Amino acid sequence: MRLRSCLAVGAALHNVGMHCQGPRTFHKATPASAGALLVLCVACHTARSDWVVATAASLSHDDNVGDAHNHSDMVPDSSTSATLSAFDLLPVGRSLSLVAGSELSGQVYDRLDGLRNASIDGLLSLKKKWGIGAFAAWSRAQVSAARSDYEDGYRNVTIYRASLEMGKRLDERWNLAAGYNFERRAAAPGASEIYGVSNDAFSQTGRSFTANAQYALSDRMSLSLGSLLRHGDVISTALTAGHYYPLTDLKAAAPDPAFGPTAYAYRLDGTTYGIKLGANYSLTDHSLIGGAFQRFDTHARGGNNYTNSVPQLTWNYQF
Amino acid sequence: MLKNFIAIVSSVFFCAAAQAAEIRALVKDQKGKAVADAVILVVPVDPRNALHAHAPAAAVDQVDKQFVPYVKPIFVGSTIRFPNSDNIRHQVYSFSPAKKFELPLYSGTDAPPVMFDKPGVVVLGCNIHDWMIGYIYVSETPFFAKTGPLGTAVINDLPAGEYTVRTWHPNMDRTEESTIQHIALSADTPSVAEWQIGLKPTIHVPRVSGAASADYP
Repeated sequence: MRLRSCLAVGAALHNVGMHCQGPRTFHKATPASAGALLVLCVACHTARSDWVVATAASLSHDDNVGDAHNHSDMVPDSSTSATLSAFDLLPVGRSLSLVAGSELSGQVYDRLDGLRNASIDGLLSLKKKWGIGAFAAWSRAQVSAARSDYEDGYRNVTIYRASLEMGKRLDERWNLAAGYNFERRAAAPGASEIYGVSNDAFSQTGRSFTANAQYALSDRMSLSLGSLLRHGDVISTALTAGHYYPLTDLKAAAPDPAFGPTAYAYRLDGTTYGIKLGANYSLTDHSLIGGAFQRFDTHARGGNNYTNSVPQLTWNYQF
Repeated sequence: MLKNFIAIVSSVFFCAAAQAAEIRALVKDQKGKAVADAVILVVPVDPRNALHAHAPAAAVDQVDKQFVPYVKPIFVGSTIRFPNSDNIRHQVYSFSPAKKFELPLYSGTDAPPVMFDKPGVVVLGCNIHDWMIGYIYVSETPFFAKTGPLGTAVINDLPAGEYTVRTWHPNMDRTEESTIQHIALSADTPSVAEWQIGLKPTIHVPRVSGAASADYP
């Protein structure tokens, strides 16, 4: 259940690409995100502010939603998601700006009803533009807190993220960006039947590097290429309980009934390599549609290697 | 009766004598399609024909995070105001040799007017909204116009005489000088100037770039 929901989340965090930072569930509300919202409200009342509201919808398909190693455990499914976000720009200096915002999102799976989720996310980012104009290099530090609530509540999670990014538009056609991301997902420990192994299977920590390039074919059409290197906890769900992995390789294990009554989720240490190819077409000045294909290749401890292929269609509208 | 007739004939005669020359311009692209936002410049060979020109104040607005108008021709020495009709702030700048300036973040009509005292093309941008782009053409001649959606423009009240006319467009694939035509204007009949110019494909910074959320530059 990892990297894919990042499609919406990652897209929310940056414009050119792949931003998967770990488990792909959505952002949700927590005291921390409430704090971010509070900061936002205070800022709005204390300074002239520039609001931007945007919305997005996407359709995607994952051929291995549970990140399973064995072919017999792989569960493909499609999902639909929608996002509504509001961001406020608060200039701090001549080339420094603070962006505070919040995002509401929801995701519905075609078959895996337990994975339906709704999220609220609050974020703050400080962006420095190293010059004036569209082609000035920029860097950005961002923190966010989110809460995701699932249909099957045992997966509910609070997500903390921090990222450092930099980028530069080389010219009208080429736009480059790269970033380092940290993510901590805190979930409630579940029931465990494996002696000596933590039952906190849905909490994760991960770090990732991303690099993205976007190339404009025309005024309306652009192509993008993104890459991801992530290391940290991964969760792999098998449809039946069993000793798939040496206990020494397991960090946690817990039942995962969203995939079936006998399914078990295993948390392992792993490294993921990802690539994303995408194309966007601007329908109007305010909206675009896009198609993308993401491929993830994960190598986790205990020989738990698996892949995900995720095609996706998106629609974005910015007011 | 005779007195009235003489008065009418006299008025018609004097009106005709005072009537100034006119140029009707048409700009098409390489496919014969009308080109809007092309600037037509009419330069008198005899500079005395432009002696009494003045440089009026003008404005370039910001509406829905776009410069309006997209192309604004002005006479050299004119001042331009940059009112902001959006309910957010803009930070207008130009790096162009004809005029370098920067207006710190502002809203409403807070920004001071900017004088354009050097002929040439001034490219406008907003440091907050990278997709915003606009052009000010600072003309050395007071006789100019901009084509509309039909690719046409009319410049009238021109003193009769010899002129050179040329056109400019932001996406033109050639130099302005290559479009120069020589025209002798008389008050009798309007003169016509036509151009067929190639337009380069434009690539603008996208306003919506694929992010689910708003993405400030």
